[in-house]
Amino acid sequence: MTIHLLLGLVLILFVFAAVRALAPSRTLLAGTVLGIGALALLAVNYQALLSPEFWAGLIGFVAILSALMVVIHPNPMVSILFLIVNLFCIALFYLILRAEFLAVLQIIIYAGAIMVLFVFVVMLLNLKAEEGLRLGGGPQRWGALLLAVVFVLLMFHALHDRSDQPYVEPGAFESGFGSARALGGLLFSRYLVAFEAASLLLIAGMVGAVVVAKRKVG
Amino acid sequence: MRVEFFLLIGALLFAIGCAGVLIRRNAIVILMCIELMLNAVNLTFVAFALENQSMTGHIFVFFVMTVAAAEAAIGLAIVIALFRRRRTTDVEDASLMRW
Repeated sequence: MTIHLLLGLVLILFVFAAVRALAPSRTLLAGTVLGIGALALLAVNYQALLSPEFWAGLIGFVAILSALMVVIHPNPMVSILFLIVNLFCIALFYLILRAEFLAVLQIIIYAGAIMVLFVFVVMLLNLKAEEGLRLGGGPQRWGALLLAVVFVLLMFHALHDRSDQPYVEPGAFESGFGSARALGGLLFSRYLVAFEAASLLLIAGMVGAVVVAKRKVG
Repeated sequence: MRVEFFLLIGALLFAIGCAGVLIRRNAIVILMCIELMLNAVNLTFVAFALENQSMTGHIFVFFVMTVAAAEAAIGLAIVIALFRRRRTTDVEDASLMRW
């Protein structure tokens, strides 16, 4: 164990010196050192690579980080790319939660169709980066802080109250849960009316989009 | 693995999307933040569906995806119409109908 730690430390120092000589940028340097450190920690503790909790935590970290980048990045194009990363993370979560068909739908519909629409519009309008965020000042800020604290307390309370619930065992489900067959069976029996109404909604949306976006004729 | 983990991630994503709707000026980015919030709710639906061993949550996610697709199409059409008239997508400049 100590041998591994020492080896990792020497490796980090060596890579630090190499990157310092090669890359003058400070953020690149910090990122590389952090990444090498994380890799060294994993190399020492490689058992973690086998646990689903580690992978779920990693995906959650990437999801939160990409969502933050969507909100704070001034360039809309970069926001779209980070939103696609976020959608892929949620599709992976669906796979963990035994919703295989929804994971496929998430990638095809969201990342494949809706995001292409967003990319198309941003490219078409050729937007420039925003000047600044709409951060209100004065009493608004304190109200927002109060509401945020209340929200966090409520969420903590709600999640804490559930702490006696049992664990979810990934192997303990009947086969077919979350499959296309099961979802289709439900859609075409119990939820048939809602399904047909969804088709009406889609065609109304399509016609509405054409009418709103087209030029005036004549 | 605990269901609470996914609920927590969903709550955080929803809060981030909500903050984005409130603080951004660009109408397209506001639409993207709405998509973020819809996805957070979908994640919560799927987590509860697994806990309760019921596929009804999956049906809800399916319909939320349908509504999100229609909403994105209409919203982007409105953004294009706005840009054609005003040469901007800033929501501060589109305040004709605001009280």
